[in-house]
Amino acid sequence: MKGAMIVLCSMLIASVAAAQATRTPAQAVDAFHAALRSKDTGGALSLLDRGLVVYEFGLVDATVEAYAFRHLAFDMDVAVATQWKLESRRVGGEGDERWVLSSYRVTGKQTDGTTIDQMTLETAILRRSGGLFRIAHLHWSTSDAAFQARAQSQRSQQPAR
Amino acid sequence: MVSFAFAFAGHDGIEVDPALKRYAGQVTALGKRDDQGRVYSLQVKRLPASAAFEMDELRGWRLTILAGKRFAQVFEIVGNTGTEVSVSADDGPLNGIAVRDVFVIENVPVERKKPAEPQ
Repeated sequence: MKGAMIVLCSMLIASVAAAQATRTPAQAVDAFHAALRSKDTGGALSLLDRGLVVYEFGLVDATVEAYAFRHLAFDMDVAVATQWKLESRRVGGEGDERWVLSSYRVTGKQTDGTTIDQMTLETAILRRSGGLFRIAHLHWSTSDAAFQARAQSQRSQQPAR
Repeated sequence: MVSFAFAFAGHDGIEVDPALKRYAGQVTALGKRDDQGRVYSLQVKRLPASAAFEMDELRGWRLTILAGKRFAQVFEIVGNTGTEVSVSADDGPLNGIAVRDVFVIENVPVERKKPAEPQ
């Protein structure tokens, strides 16, 4: 019993630690991007609500586990290889449900040296639980039509999920 | 039950170098409990299926749990065989992790928060 309590306490402390700096919904979104950039997998996950659903360029991750397993690693790779400059942001909602709309100019280089320079649009819905805002939904898209077409072509060649 | 596919692509259309070396895997069994009931090792398999790990190639790498009760918890690997990983006691035991839980192992050290200095 004592051992179980110690385990539960350590779980609680660890899961709260990365999210403790989170005060506003916008700060939670920024902290998520910062965690990706710093290769902090646990920190990024701790900012996600357990009911997370992600829409990413037409893909759907219906659970936080699916996103963590299938896409988080690649999003981290992209975050490390690119620079995301916040261009605009609007926040809204009330109570325990809030939204943060952001646009970013994303620049960098791909593996083959091709330049990345596009606008990425992000919708984040946040839910407050235990006094902390965590991301319950993310939706990314881009204003780059060529990129979107390339992404959709890649998706059509992937196995059903 | 979460169904996992093995297509790693997020911001589809962008191809970048991996930020670090990593392996995904799944728990196949919990290790032996010590005399206080604590578990510090796991039997694992790689996802997608790949060759077993080299002995101790994961020493010092970071293990992050991606599902289940210990979601987002981080552990430092102190040793491994082909199909078993052992973690440092500094991060606490693995109790609560279940068979079929998935994880990622990354070639990056665990950063532990230092207690704040008294003012």
